[in-house]
Order: sequence, then structure tokens, then C-alpha cells
Amino acid sequence: MLVIDLNKCSGCRRCETHCSFYHSGKTGHMGARIKVEKIEILGIDYPIVCHQCKEHYCTKCPQNAISITQNGSIEVSPTICDLCGACEKLCPIGAIEIYNEIPYVCDLCGGSPRCVEACEMGAISYDPAIRQSVSLDWFKKKTKKIPPSVKRYEYAKQGSVKLRENWLKDRSK
Amino acid sequence: MLHGYGGHILRVDFSSGRILREKTDPSYMLEVIGGRGLNSRRLFDELKRDIDPLSEENMLLIGVGPLTGSLLSTSAYITISGKSPLTGILGDSAAGGFLGPEIKMAGYDQLIFTGKSESLSYVYICDDHVEIRDAVHLKGKDIFQTTAILRKELNDNSIQIAAIGPAGENLVRFATVACNNSRVCGRTGMGCLFGSKNLKAVVVKGTGMVSLSNPLKFMDICKIIDKRIVEHPEFQDRHDLGSTLLMKALNGLGILPVNHFQKGIAPYVDEISGQTLAKNYKVKNKGCFNCNINCSRYYVTKEVESEGPEYETLCSFSSRLGSRDLEFALKMGQYLNRMGLDSLSAGETIGWAMECVEKGIFDKNDFDGLDFTWGNTDTVEKILDKIIHLEGVGADFAKGTRFLADKMGRGSQKYALHVKGLDIICGDPRGIKAFGLTYAIASRGGDHLRAEPFFELTNRFEEAEKRFGTRDAADRLSNNGKAALVEYSERQSLLTDCLTMCKNVGLSMDVLNFELAADLLTSGTGLNFTEDVVNKALRGTITKDRLMNIDFGINSEDDTLPHRFTHEPLLEGASKNQVVPIDDMVKDYYKIKGWDENGVPEKQ
Repeated sequence: MLVIDLNKCSGCRRCETHCSFYHSGKTGHMGARIKVEKIEILGIDYPIVCHQCKEHYCTKCPQNAISITQNGSIEVSPTICDLCGACEKLCPIGAIEIYNEIPYVCDLCGGSPRCVEACEMGAISYDPAIRQSVSLDWFKKKTKKIPPSVKRYEYAKQGSVKLRENWLKDRSK
Repeated sequence: MLHGYGGHILRVDFSSGRILREKTDPSYMLEVIGGRGLNSRRLFDELKRDIDPLSEENMLLIGVGPLTGSLLSTSAYITISGKSPLTGILGDSAAGGFLGPEIKMAGYDQLIFTGKSESLSYVYICDDHVEIRDAVHLKGKDIFQTTAILRKELNDNSIQIAAIGPAGENLVRFATVACNNSRVCGRTGMGCLFGSKNLKAVVVKGTGMVSLSNPLKFMDICKIIDKRIVEHPEFQDRHDLGSTLLMKALNGLGILPVNHFQKGIAPYVDEISGQTLAKNYKVKNKGCFNCNINCSRYYVTKEVESEGPEYETLCSFSSRLGSRDLEFALKMGQYLNRMGLDSLSAGETIGWAMECVEKGIFDKNDFDGLDFTWGNTDTVEKILDKIIHLEGVGADFAKGTRFLADKMGRGSQKYALHVKGLDIICGDPRGIKAFGLTYAIASRGGDHLRAEPFFELTNRFEEAEKRFGTRDAADRLSNNGKAALVEYSERQSLLTDCLTMCKNVGLSMDVLNFELAADLLTSGTGLNFTEDVVNKALRGTITKDRLMNIDFGINSEDDTLPHRFTHEPLLEGASKNQVVPIDDMVKDYYKIKGWDENGVPEKQ
């Protein structure tokens, strides 16, 4: 899976740009499969991308259009998918989002993720050995009926509490 | 199909409520490229010259370039333009962050605002859906609050917002517009222009993508540029410190503004340096859209936390005012960003007052009892509050140093350090002669970003000979070859503003030349941008800017520097005994431009 180091992310969205360009020759937030959630007032930049979570919530696709590839990424069959939107609703963190009639989700660029290459901060790394190690069970309950962009915001906010504690711990020095 | 460009120009007239969406004209874009070039041309073509900048007739433009939001590294910028409320001439200011790409994704190349709204409003743009909405509930809210409230009530954290604070609402002449809270259009009072139209914020959501004419070729050129950036000798320092590295660097050159430019070195520089800031307060790097340097930083002090500050703010609120209190400068940086006030102009009004008090021209009684002694941080906080809320003497400060000195008189004008009404930036031109020429001729007034001839600091003597015909162009203390350097850098600067790229990269690090830019533009847009077409567009824009400024009343007498820089030699440090022979340099510059001795371009 793609491992994110929040301490290092500067929020430049270079990962998004390169992800989107690799997949379509165009650039844009919506066309990226990794999306950086920026909470400026808290100084937080949180790249949200498929965690290959323990629960694999998205595989509960009613059409069975979603399968797991050899490298652990999510694959959506374009012929079976009928754009019902279940995957978008099922993913707790907003890592799948439908745009221009395609469910956008990280495919690890076939094994050499462009976001890792593009990130000058070294905030993203790829470890093929880590799979299904993250559980999103604690977060899942809070995400019913909210759109992917709001899920990403909530997840980034809650996922960065520790980082901020570390920052503020030292502020009196 | 037109690639690269957003494809539309948006016109919003607040007086009538009319909203128009026009197609971008490719032949017009070949003459202006985009960004600042597009804004300048729009003003040249459509702005009535003899208007009050605060009147309904003034135009407020937000322009992005053909490559904004593309794969090109640092293609993040916007330029806001209009007739400046501070200087009365051409005004514009650029900022990075994420608004520029969002405007592009929404399908626009330029947003044109005219008229005046009856009550405080904001403009909501989501692709082709555009509305003028009520913003009365945001009155008096600072920029951080405004951004947070809008994101919350629209239930979307990913929208991009350009907003003003109380200073802009109160029409402080040097009020700013901020994107992403801390990426600020600081100079020439564009926030005041927002305020004069009762415009609190522009909110943009774009769901489109930036397409390219020849993506693979474009990608290859981007890779060349990326390589030049990461292999650049300054890369690591810029990554670690950003512009704050200049505190120590300029101190070493003897040109750090200390006590309002009375000295060029601060013995206490280590207490206020970028290095100290990074060591004690920085928690991580921050970057603008698609940047591979990430020169900005997030900092946490005992009292405040924020992104920033850039060198100009750091210096303006430390050594320039004789203060060695770094935490205070950081606190002020955040405060000014929240309130929406330009740190350079605000700092200059205060520095001027402190020097006038030191010289015995004024005392406490002239300034509502405030004690303007060097480094008095208490006074600085109090006067800033008065400026923002137009209280007492603050109402005069709020009109800028030129107005303030003219009104208070007694010879204090001599210490008002501005060119054409725009306060000088934090770099003493006596030890960087090409910068001196830049301040004197810059079409928005006393500012370095019109040319930023950083080349003269890089010791590239052979390259200087090749490009400008003399090795002296790379000698910061020589005035020889500087007109040629400034003329070149002026085009390079405009080019980065047109593309809308970061000037640190395009200009200071010199990674962009005209040939490469032409290839980028052609493969990006599909239009036939040859090197000649690019240069013709740049030269045409610079000439038209000058003609417009002449209409605004500028003449050759305005192309000069304050008395201090031309007649008072620096007394110590690495630029000791230096002054700027500005008259000779300006004459050289006119000659190279083909302008007459009065600085008037020939009629074409």
C-alpha cells in the first residue's frame, strides 16, 4: 500500500497532478486518485488514497464489479460497473469517487506509483508487502450519507490530531 | 480546440448584477499570453484613465495563465490587477496557493469585476454556475474566519477562496487579498479595490481538467524544468529556508534594511534569521500548487501558528523597525495576514514615523501619544490596530507613506521611502544596483518583482558577457550593463507572470528562457507561440503598461529613487560607501527600450 508520512507532506498536491496526468494526460483534482485534504487553519495536509483496508468495504459492490488485483489494489471492471455509486458510499474515507462516469480509485500505476516519484518531500512511499493492515472500522460508522469530499475532510481532521499534539507540545520552548 | 486555457472570460458587474461568460479569443491570447499580460492589456483596452481608483468605474481583474494548473511545476499563480488605490497608477499583485488552478479547472482565464455592490457580497463560482451572494454576515471577519465560515456553510473544504479582511473593508489603501489564508496578493492595495466594490470574497470550485495540445512533448519539457530546479545550486537552501534565507544573505552583503535603511547590517541578525526561525518554530514545509521546492513553512510559537512568513514580512517587522524580536515578527505576520494588510507598506509607514521621531521632526503628540522609538513593539501593535480601523492618526497612515508624509510635512517627505507611491521593499538598492534601477522604473512603483535581476548576485560573469555584453552585469556594485540586465529580466519576470509560474523558479533560479517557454506554450496550448511571438507579446505589454502609466500622470521625474539611496552612502558592511547613480542608469534603460529622453515610448 501507499504509506503516507504526514510530518512531511507540504500540501502541494504534486501527487494529484502527476496521478491525474499519468492516467489521462490532463491535470485536475477530480481526475486524481490521490487527493490531498488541506485544512489550512490547522496547518494540516493529508493525502487521502486507498488504504487497501482490512475490511475491503468497497468489494461489497452489488454488481460484483470490484476485485482485488495481485498487487493489492482495487480494480473496477468498466463493463460490469453500472455506476450505482455504492462503492463511493461504502468507502469510509472518500478514496473512491465517481467523476465523468468512472469510479476513480488508486491502481498503484501498475506497480510504480507516480505520486511517490513526484513527491519531492518524500511523504509518500510504496510498500507492496503491506496489505490490509489498516482497519477503518473505527471511522466507518461516522461516514454514512456524507459525500466523499466531506469524508476526506473528516478523516484528515481526526487522523491528524496526534500530529498536532506533537507540534503544540513543543510550543513553549 | 483551445488547450491549456480555461476557454472563458467571466464578467461580473456588481452595479447591474449582470454576469456574462465570453469565449477566450485565441488571437488576443497570442498577443498577451495570459496572467498579468492579459490583465494589463484588458486595462489598457477598457479602463477609463481619469477615474478615482475607488470609484465604480475601476476594474478588478483576476487573471490566470495558459499553463496554470498544468503539469508545469509551480504553475500556481494568479494576478489581481486594477488602478491602484495606493499609487493611482497601474496596480497588480500576484499570489500562489491553489486559487489559480481552481479558476482554470472552473473554465476561466480571467475574472473581470466592475461596478459596486450595494451591500457586502461574495461571488460564488462553480464551473459555469456563477452567483453574487450576500456576505453581510462576514462583515468585520478576518481572512482566516471568512475562509473557515465559507467552507463550513458551503459544506466543502476543497473550494478555493480569495478574501479580504477588515483592512480591505475599511478601504485601507494597502489592504491585501489572501488565498489559502496565507498566500497573499500584498502590493498596490488590491484588497482595498475589493472593499471599494463591496466584494468580501471570491469563492471558486472547478471540477474540470486542464488539457494539453501535445501532452507528451509538454511532459518532456516539464521534466527538463524539474531537473533544472532540483539540481540548482540554491535548491536545498530554498527548500529549507525559502525567502527567509535572505535575512542572513542580505546582512552579509550589507544591504539588510536596519532602522529604516539607515544601516545595512544588523549585529543581531542571528536572532531574527530564517535559520533561527526554522530551528525554533518551523514544524514542516508548505508548498503552493505542484511545487517541487516547497519553500514555505508552517510555524508554531507560544502565541500563534500559521503558514509563512516570507522574507519581506519578516524583515519589515524586525530589523527594518529596529526590533530583534523574532516571535513578534511571526506574530505580526499572522496578524497582518488575518487582517489583510500589506506588511511592506504597513512596515514602511511605521519605519518612517520612527525615523522622523528619532530625527526630532515629530514627537509623541503628533502621533496620538504613541511612542515611536526603534523596536517599540507595543507601539507597532497599537498603530496597526489604528490603521486597520482608521482610528485617529491611523486614518492618515492608512493612506500610505507618501500621503502621510505630504500631509504631516516639515521635510518628512525626504524619509518616505517609496517610488511612485509604492513603498520600497526590504533590499537596500545601494549594494544591488540593478535592483535600484528596477525599483525606479517598475510599472507598479518601488518594487523588485517587475524584474528581480537576481542575476547580478550569482557571479556568473561569463554568462553576463554572453547575454549582456559585459562581465559587469554580474557585479552587484557596478552600474554597467544593468540596463540590459533589467530589460531582459523585466521580460523574464513578465513571462513568469503570464504563464503564471513562481518567480523564484522562473526568474531568480533562471530556469526559464524564452525559447523553452515558447515550446511549453506551443505544446501546451496548440497555438503557434514561437520565441518571436512570445517576445513580441512581452515587449508589447511592457510598452502598453508604460503608456497607460503616462496617461495616469507618470513622467521621467518619477523614475527615480528616494534621496537616501542616491545621496547617502552606506557607512559599514560589504556595500560600504555605495549609492545608486540612478539618473545615468535610467537614461541607459530608456535608450535600450528605444524610449525618448522623457521615457515615452515611440508611437507604434
